[in-house]
Amino acid sequence: MTHVPKKRPTAKMLLFGGLSVILYTTLFLKSEAVMQFFTRGGIYAALPIATVFLFSYIHGSFAGSFWSVLGIEAQKTRLQEKMEQQKSRARPTERSRSRLRVHA
Amino acid sequence: MHEVANFIDLNLVMIVYLFLVGFVGGLVSGFIGSGGAFVLTPGMMSLGVPGAVAVASNMCHKFPKALVGAIKRYKYGQVDIKLGLIMAVSATVGVQIGIQIQHAILARWGQSGSNLYVSLAFVLILVTVGGYVFRDARKCARCGGVEVASALAKKLQQIHLPPMIYFKTADVKISVWLTIPVGLATGMLAATIAVGGFIGVPGMIYVIGASSLIASASELVIAFVMGLGGSINWAFHGLIDIRLTLIILAGSLFGVQLGAIGTTYVKDHMIKVVMGIIMLMVAVSRALAIPQYLNELDVIQMDPAIISLMTQTSFVIMVAALFVGAAIILVGIWKGRKAEKKDRLLHASPIPETASH
Repeated sequence: MTHVPKKRPTAKMLLFGGLSVILYTTLFLKSEAVMQFFTRGGIYAALPIATVFLFSYIHGSFAGSFWSVLGIEAQKTRLQEKMEQQKSRARPTERSRSRLRVHA
Repeated sequence: MHEVANFIDLNLVMIVYLFLVGFVGGLVSGFIGSGGAFVLTPGMMSLGVPGAVAVASNMCHKFPKALVGAIKRYKYGQVDIKLGLIMAVSATVGVQIGIQIQHAILARWGQSGSNLYVSLAFVLILVTVGGYVFRDARKCARCGGVEVASALAKKLQQIHLPPMIYFKTADVKISVWLTIPVGLATGMLAATIAVGGFIGVPGMIYVIGASSLIASASELVIAFVMGLGGSINWAFHGLIDIRLTLIILAGSLFGVQLGAIGTTYVKDHMIKVVMGIIMLMVAVSRALAIPQYLNELDVIQMDPAIISLMTQTSFVIMVAALFVGAAIILVGIWKGRKAEKKDRLLHASPIPETASH
């Protein structure tokens, strides 16, 4: 079995890495204003919660593609294969669909 | 802003320290489903962060880390979402019970009494559960790393107490009622020592009958739900230091994804090995902290110099527990990748053609 090397997501890493740097730089340059609003409590509670979701998406994508660019990726697991088999069994086949149309 | 909250000034050393501890905590969480949080709260407090702010900021990093870890491990086919969500319901109730117990102890015996209660809970639960998990991991290792459902889980699955529920990914059918004690205990422990997974993961393995891979992955779903609820509460009181949260998150999002990747390179029982070792080391760490609280409550009289030495040793062992766990995971990943590369080269070698005359 020959191994086909996967394309590394370098562009994705650079894009999300850049966005992550922008987010963290903004946070620390504006830290006084951020802390003033983010610790007001009450309805301002939405601010820290929304912020961590945003940072998680951007920085999480950067971190994920970072490991992929380094070539550190998951091996396909037995559980993954089982999940894929279950998904393919759940999809109706083209042949059986066309048979139904003929007999309808 | 909360009147009693002081938000510390940050310097580069603190930022690097929080990033590194966040990375290591994330690595362990991604691998065993929990475990990074217990170091971060005291770690932040050692920088001068007030206790409530440390707990709030830690929790606010925990739930997005758990979400990213859960998504990653879901792609590997390891997360049983239904199991995680059902457990999360009873865990959320458990958190509230745990908080009420904490408040009652704080009101009756003050801060020292509360600290003593937390430390005793650490020691009793981690020694019992951690010791059992570690012994089981060694048994699995001797049997070639193959896991089998525990006798208790098999017996409980036979009990027909409607509503029965089938957890597809875990391939377990069990009464919903039997998931409630595990969920409650997870939430109560989370409220007490900040790591519900030290009961949640073993509970899902030995009581419900999920494999350690699926239990540790599904625990991330529980951690996400509990963490989100708790964080909204803390945010409402204005106690989250978002700078600390995001610095820790910067490290932990690298760590949690690497930990998740690591689960695909090691034998299933390694999750139990790492969890057992961390739990036993943390139990030792908390046991060393107990004399300080007994001294403050005038139950014993001890030389302040000895108390100080024991408290410092306790902190070092606690941090070491996390780093030992991380080291085992990284070595496991390195060995697994080496074996995979060797296997790939073996299959890639061309078969020599026989000469034709």
